[in-house]
Amino acid sequence: MNILSLILILCASLFFTGIVIRTKSILSGRKGPGIFQPLKDIWRLFRKGAVYSQTSSYIFQIAPSIYFASVLIAIFLIPVGNHPGIISFRGDFIFFAYVLALGKFFMIISAMDTGSSFSGMGASREALYSLLAEPAFFILMGSFALLTGYSSFYEIFSALHFGSSISYAVGFLAAIVLVIIALIENSRMPIDDPKTHLELTMIHEVMILDNSGFDLGLILYATNLKFAMYGALIANFFLTPGYEWYYSIPIFIGVQFVFAITVGIIESFMARFRMNHNPQYIFMLTSISILIFLGVLLILGKIA
Amino acid sequence: MSLEIVIWCALIAAGISCLTIPFLPSRFKSSAAFIFVLCIAIASSIPSISVLTGSPIEMIFHGSGVFGNIPVRIDALSAWFILIVNFTCISGALYGIGYMKPYEDQKSNTSLHWILFVVFQVSMISVCVLHNSLAFLIAWEIMSISSALLVIFEHHKSDTLKAGMNYLVQMHIGVVFLSIAFIWIYFSEGSFEFEKIASFFAHHPPALLFLLFFVGFGIKSGFIPLHTWLPYAHPAAPAHVSGVMSGVIVKMGIYGLLRIVFYLYSDLVFLGESVLILSVLTSFYGILNAAVVRDFKRMLAFCTIENIGIIGMGIGIGMIGKGINNPYLMLLGFTGALLHTLNHSLYKSLLFFTAGNLYQKLHTRNMEHLGGLIKKMPSTGFFFLCGALAIGGLPPFNGFISEFLIYSGLVEGIKSDNVQFSAMMMLCIVGLALVGGISLLTFTKSFSVIFLGTPRTELEHHPEEVSLIMRIPLFLILAAIVIIGIFPNAVFIPALSIVSGLNGVHSFPDEIMTVSPLLAIIGRVSLMLILFIALIYYVRSTITASKSSVYLPTWGCGYGSPNGRMQYTAKSFSKSFAKLFSFIVMEKKKYHEIDVKTIFPQSRTFHSNYLEFFEKNILDPVDNRILAFMNYFTFIHNGRLQVYILYGFFFIVILIAATFFNLL
Repeated sequence: MNILSLILILCASLFFTGIVIRTKSILSGRKGPGIFQPLKDIWRLFRKGAVYSQTSSYIFQIAPSIYFASVLIAIFLIPVGNHPGIISFRGDFIFFAYVLALGKFFMIISAMDTGSSFSGMGASREALYSLLAEPAFFILMGSFALLTGYSSFYEIFSALHFGSSISYAVGFLAAIVLVIIALIENSRMPIDDPKTHLELTMIHEVMILDNSGFDLGLILYATNLKFAMYGALIANFFLTPGYEWYYSIPIFIGVQFVFAITVGIIESFMARFRMNHNPQYIFMLTSISILIFLGVLLILGKIA
Repeated sequence: MSLEIVIWCALIAAGISCLTIPFLPSRFKSSAAFIFVLCIAIASSIPSISVLTGSPIEMIFHGSGVFGNIPVRIDALSAWFILIVNFTCISGALYGIGYMKPYEDQKSNTSLHWILFVVFQVSMISVCVLHNSLAFLIAWEIMSISSALLVIFEHHKSDTLKAGMNYLVQMHIGVVFLSIAFIWIYFSEGSFEFEKIASFFAHHPPALLFLLFFVGFGIKSGFIPLHTWLPYAHPAAPAHVSGVMSGVIVKMGIYGLLRIVFYLYSDLVFLGESVLILSVLTSFYGILNAAVVRDFKRMLAFCTIENIGIIGMGIGIGMIGKGINNPYLMLLGFTGALLHTLNHSLYKSLLFFTAGNLYQKLHTRNMEHLGGLIKKMPSTGFFFLCGALAIGGLPPFNGFISEFLIYSGLVEGIKSDNVQFSAMMMLCIVGLALVGGISLLTFTKSFSVIFLGTPRTELEHHPEEVSLIMRIPLFLILAAIVIIGIFPNAVFIPALSIVSGLNGVHSFPDEIMTVSPLLAIIGRVSLMLILFIALIYYVRSTITASKSSVYLPTWGCGYGSPNGRMQYTAKSFSKSFAKLFSFIVMEKKKYHEIDVKTIFPQSRTFHSNYLEFFEKNILDPVDNRILAFMNYFTFIHNGRLQVYILYGFFFIVILIAATFFNLL
């Protein structure tokens, strides 16, 4: 069984949001909560009762479970270094994108289920931004499929090795793209501000305004998992094959740590974009990934 | 059972149906029609299934001097499409029993409708089996005409009539192209038999003939810019007819296209690239419009265009694969196209039938008026949700399987040595990913606006769940969707053998042998996903069962009396998206500017809708020009009988003169 990646991602998910929050508090000169505070919040939510909207139907009740399950299945696909994920098959990155989309579908309709005038706003924005981010991920993975000649996460990452200077540039750009995708998918700055308290400006937070209790806990924990999952994807770029587990595990943890701190720094020093600038920003992501594609073509000597 | 018996069975059933349906009491008409449809379906499915597992069956009618021999042949491709036609027609007729109940008092109208439905099914099957161009065209015409008459069931509505006319005219434009193509082949090769198409392609450059065929079949299947009939005809038709139309009639275009493609020898790469690019654009354009329209049946019609695009992408990939001699790519592409054809026929008919449920109970197609229906019509809502997930290509449903194959084809294409292919395939992946994303937006919007929240307006009709008879076909289709999603190899292996058989691939490349286990894994993962969801939900339920749960009004940000009108509407949901693509989906607003002189606010109206790009910018101007030009010739057809007789006289004189001077 290749449960190494699952265990590592689960571990990372425990710390991730805590580190982000800690970074932010240090940078803004506050004492701030402890690293485990987000987890404690989730644990408290798990033990609480719930308030449901009278308008809502069963969709509202099943959506968090489906969201959580979809994230979990997506995590199963992620390898760590030369250990494949629990499930690994050719073209698993397509499955990855679509299974996450399934979770998103349910979160969007559960937001609409409350009949609230705010949730719809978040739902609409979430649908729009995630559809705009979709091409970047596919170009990224397609480029690496071209570079390595494989088409599953595990094979791509284990065949990936950096040689020329262009390949470092490509790796760097890929890391940037993945960081930004992770920020968009997890509704963080500069696309969305998880700490805002104005419904009109929120995306993800406004979608879950009416969730409470166990369901809210599931959603929050799924967000942590998602962060750790993208962190693991990024880490894979640095886990070139040949490293034994005693190298790969520290590297993995280091990358997750750096990723979390980066998110914290971005959130401390950047303001959220105006809503109508977000699409441009996300389109920029697609153009970066086209650069990656060109870089890959250069590496392979297909274009001079 | 020999083919001859089957043909006679089908024709006799159709004949009996024509003779008996008008004389039955009106409440038995639809059931009788269903039984006939079922008989024809069984009679034609038995040989089809045996073809899928064995070798093609052929029979030759010795026609007259005009027709030449008429080969009636069920090969694997025909069998595949016959089975799709039959399944959709059975579910459509079964659904129609319930759907047509309110129209029982229109006796002659329903009789005609059901006879046409049977004729329609028989004509579609004939299209699949006839291998003689003339006979094919006749069957094709019967199919077009019967479906056009099915569309205008509610002929007292002018919109419906207009949609039907539009459809009929466009189908005939398509037939003109097909006829030219077939006549060209006849003059070149001396026979109407389909085999001659292959020999034509072997000796001539194929591009022009292929273009003729593509336009002819493309109008039927709705590739842009030939799609304009679709968004009118589908909403206008009764639900079971739109389901069948969208599910299979547009697929007849795909059938024709595939048939021609399989005869191609040369220039495959260029043609494949063209098909691929056009398909991506089709798919993108279709879903873009689907995202903004508010008529839910029109939305589904645009979605059909999207899916035709996806099928076309599969065909394009397959053609390129055949052209560059990469059997793996070819098999992936064509198999993906075939599977998507099947999958789309399933979930699209499911969605159209649920739309029919809504229309029957609420008498509106405008989703802005609806809301909260999942409580009133729970099964309809559930089926719509499943259909929406399937059409979005989300696992664990069947749509994912075919999209996965097409994605795999594109990824495989990226890896090719040619930069041009790599770049193009990459663009197609971007297109497909974007289309997937937009369809997520479209269907979250449609489902949630129709079924969730609270009603947005007071409805005239009290919504309630439809009768059991209308739900049974939905269960059947849903079962098929889930089974294909979890056991994709049940349909992948037959599709693969069809494609390889028709393209003369005898030894499979190694890679394709790994696809079937791959799909088995995907099926297992999908099953795992379902089990996971069930497990997590079970855990959640057991834990929350002991906790308190309170039902309170939705959080209104401190505002105490929110109402249904304050919810997000379909328009507002897709507004920011539509703004991004406003160069394609143009918004048209109708309102009066506030006059400076008005002191007190008065009642005002505001109307906005989205225009369709091709119709507005290309078709309508061209149409208007042609009409303006044709106006100059109105003196010719002036309605006076005497003048018309004079024309006849002139014609005869010219004929005689021409013969006299040996001109003819």
